[in-house]
Amino acid sequence: MKFFGKIWPRLFIAVAIVFFVAPLLSMARFAFQRIPVISLGKDNLLKRWTIDGLLTTLRDPEFTHSLSVSLKIAFFTVVVLLVLMVPTTLWVHLAAPRWRGVVETVTILPYVVPPIALVVGVSGTYRSIAPWFLASNYSLVPFYAILAMPFTFRSLDVGIKALDLRTLVDAAKSLGAPSLRVMWNVLLPNLRTSLINAAFLTVTVVLGEFTIASLLLKRTLPMYMAQAQGREPQGALGLGLLILVLTTILFTLVSIIRKRDATSISSKNINGGMVP
Amino acid sequence: MSALEFANVSKSFGDVNALIDFTIALEEGELVSLLGPSGCGKTTALRIAAGFETADAGSILLGSRNIIGLPAHERRMGMVFQSYSLFPHLNIRDNVSFGLRVRGVRNEARKKRAEEMLDLVRLSDLGHRMPHQISGGQQQRVALARALATEPHVLLLDEPLSALDAKIRVEVRDEIRRLNRDLGVTTMFVTHDQDEAMSISDRICVMNSGVIEQVGSPRDIYNNPATSFVAHFVGSINSLPKGDKQILIRPENLVLTTHDQNAQWRGAITDITFVGAFTKISVRLENDDAPISVLAISTQIDHNIAIGLNIGINEAAQ
Repeated sequence: MKFFGKIWPRLFIAVAIVFFVAPLLSMARFAFQRIPVISLGKDNLLKRWTIDGLLTTLRDPEFTHSLSVSLKIAFFTVVVLLVLMVPTTLWVHLAAPRWRGVVETVTILPYVVPPIALVVGVSGTYRSIAPWFLASNYSLVPFYAILAMPFTFRSLDVGIKALDLRTLVDAAKSLGAPSLRVMWNVLLPNLRTSLINAAFLTVTVVLGEFTIASLLLKRTLPMYMAQAQGREPQGALGLGLLILVLTTILFTLVSIIRKRDATSISSKNINGGMVP
Repeated sequence: MSALEFANVSKSFGDVNALIDFTIALEEGELVSLLGPSGCGKTTALRIAAGFETADAGSILLGSRNIIGLPAHERRMGMVFQSYSLFPHLNIRDNVSFGLRVRGVRNEARKKRAEEMLDLVRLSDLGHRMPHQISGGQQQRVALARALATEPHVLLLDEPLSALDAKIRVEVRDEIRRLNRDLGVTTMFVTHDQDEAMSISDRICVMNSGVIEQVGSPRDIYNNPATSFVAHFVGSINSLPKGDKQILIRPENLVLTTHDQNAQWRGAITDITFVGAFTKISVRLENDDAPISVLAISTQIDHNIAIGLNIGINEAAQ
């Protein structure tokens, strides 16, 4: 019994690792070995590795253009989302806890409404009243803001719940801080981890979204990658792998920051009346 | 002129009247406790004074100025809360100087004042620490220093000792009393703990269901309770038959007697609780259901008394 009790979790983890790592390794071999796919085998595992394909793609002006478009869209999406969601989430917690359920439901809408419906509905409206809006690359910002809303709301919600929000606000006000000051000097610094989290999640949504960009014919990074797969498959896959590795590193950094902040909050609660 | 005056302040939440015609004046430098069970309106009164709640009716005078309608951040009230309310992202020194920072005081002056205040609460060596690195008692003393750093008109304390353990609670309580005396800052202290209110206050305002039951010195409240509620809420009290009416009498004003056959009351001992200097003896009177209690000085107790013993009780000679 004990033997099985130990072996199952390990077996499960091993299967999971194979499930996730095997495709990545295959992808790496395809992208970085200058050997026809049909001849890839275990005898040439270490032969003819090169990053030429990736370098060609990285040098492609189309790539730099689409990357810069995507990064700009990501930046503005983060700004729009935080400007909208930070005050809303704080308001829900401080003044209107009854509305929390409503706000939460609204933020889930992107899961319920398929992107195609969203685009057809919105673009139909704008095509007749403001066609210039759809012509701009930034027309993606509102769509992406809606897509990333669930992550942003949840991230902020969790961060706010960990604070004694009401007391912090009251304390700051009794010390002479007007509302904006309270927000800037007290709430935002204490929600730092949540804000970083929300921002990173939003960036990953923007860097990975394909459907809406394709429907609105925007040349974003995912669109470029999809097209490059036909022209320069090795380079496109190499790029995909590179983005994957970079995002993993980013998220590891975020979770390290989050853990550090969580430790300081929990030790605050444990300390109680004891002298450290 | 009073330092802080509530005049006919009323407040209700839906159908619940939290505060009805609340009227009290705090003199300059005075420490007044609002004492009562939870839901009696004491915290509401404090939060209205701080500007966190709006009154439905009445006025609040700070000196000669009516501050109803003035936003919280313009009232200059120092406040300390039940939960440790230090800003988690600032160190102790920056927490203490926060109020000065929002008032635009220069960095140097701010630092100096923060050091002075930390000195005042005897925590000057902890300025560089973060809030989570100090104990709960220390956090409340920092919160006091922070509230006092801006030289507030009035110090408002909302059950600041409730989250602390017994020993630290007494320390911080004495600290509050000392600061109130040394700085002469008018202080309003909300508590549900009668011992706390008794030991710290110049005057106590006993509240029940949004109404003031009695305002007076601790001695006055204890010895001459104005209402039955005050008598029962502050200290313990027995209700005993005398002639054709009931009288209220404190346990320490009764004496037990084993030999007086003409004692005013007689009953059987149901419980004996030793609480250090005093011993509490519960006695069930003949023809009565609820036991009464008698508080006796432990060293003066007749060692014959035991549970079940039939005993006489007299009023102590005043």
